[in-house]
Amino acid sequence: MQRFLRLLAGAVAALLLAAALWPAAREADAAASGAHAFIPLGQLWFELDPAGLNMAQAGIQRHIAPWLWEDLVQPVLELPAWPALVALGAALLLLRPGRSR
Amino acid sequence: MFVHRRRPWQIPESEATPEAAVLADAEARQGRATRRALLLGGGLLAGAGLSHGALAQGRDPMAWWEAQATNDPSRGLYPAARNGAYTLDRPLTEAREAIVYNNFYEFGSHKEIWRAAQRLETRPWTVTIDGLVATPRTVDIDTLLRLFPLEERLYRFRCVEAWAMAVPWTGFPLASLLRWAEPQAGAKYVLFRSFENRAIAPGFRQTWYPWPYTDAFTIEECGNELAFMATGIYGKPLPPQMGAPIRPIMPWKYGFKQPKSVVRISFVADRPVGFWERLQPSEYGFWANVNPAVPHPRWSQATERMLGTGERRPTLIWNGYGEQVAGLYRGLEHERLFA
Repeated sequence: MQRFLRLLAGAVAALLLAAALWPAAREADAAASGAHAFIPLGQLWFELDPAGLNMAQAGIQRHIAPWLWEDLVQPVLELPAWPALVALGAALLLLRPGRSR
Repeated sequence: MFVHRRRPWQIPESEATPEAAVLADAEARQGRATRRALLLGGGLLAGAGLSHGALAQGRDPMAWWEAQATNDPSRGLYPAARNGAYTLDRPLTEAREAIVYNNFYEFGSHKEIWRAAQRLETRPWTVTIDGLVATPRTVDIDTLLRLFPLEERLYRFRCVEAWAMAVPWTGFPLASLLRWAEPQAGAKYVLFRSFENRAIAPGFRQTWYPWPYTDAFTIEECGNELAFMATGIYGKPLPPQMGAPIRPIMPWKYGFKQPKSVVRISFVADRPVGFWERLQPSEYGFWANVNPAVPHPRWSQATERMLGTGERRPTLIWNGYGEQVAGLYRGLEHERLFA
């Protein structure tokens, strides 16, 4: 079981790190033309699935609590995408179960 | 021995009404943190078994709105005389129900919008008229409100979410504004742009959305007799959550087509893409005319739920205004007129 979890964490970490390349490359392009701006996580979600993002907000705010989106989810979505993805991937690699010490 | 017995009217300092609660109106224009302090203050006061006018103003939407209307520079223009040409087939929605069930995406997707929208300052406020017009200009809202005689009209209002209301809007015909703006021959569409202020509305921090909220109509639609610029409702200036100080009302279209709190009206040659059409073009189109036979991709539009009573009524094509507007769309049958 521990081995499975370790493999799963490793795979997810690899996916996150790979996903970070997409916004990072776009930001590098923008920087080359002198207009760098961080791409937030929400931007990536919006580009991939705008309806899903909209429904998630409506679902959380209408059926759970407005503040949950405004104070918790939205600040996460406002984070710069590639540093957040890299940080999450690295954390998973470091904390995965059974890591040799 | 000295025994201190607290009298019923003696309350500890901790239960004193916070200043923020007393200054409810000012509080409403501040951030969410202060709003929560007000609610906490309300709880403490209620626990002490007391009542307070200012607190009621802070907690009750009608009292809050009344206070705003009293301070509104345009209050002398209301109530306006009713135009008897516009009648309803159903009872008016109670004001209390209509002013607390709103969408205002800049403030969130929830149904507590009326509270969040109190942060919107509606004075000073200007409206810019630009694009293909004889003379682009920016006009103060209180000047604009006095350019056209105000009247009251009873209209049905239909939200794409399948709820509806019947309300008395106050305002002036959009056709009057068109004449005043003097559009040039090349102007084919009228684009309405809502306010944009990051400091008061959390939605603007979602930079991935195409802010500001905009939507547009053809110039022929704007010239229709039903097209209205609403500045008030129920005989008072609009409350912020309903789009104060000015918004277009096209009663045969779904509500999302009608931007609230308009700051700019642009006359353009090419068809603009509105906020929702840009977000989800498969669900929301340019025309968005009401039709019970054309379902939203995720729900039926065959019936509508009336605010307040919960009565479910059959949806009317063109929201019941076919006689006045169906002719606008002759020759456009190939378009997606009802989404």
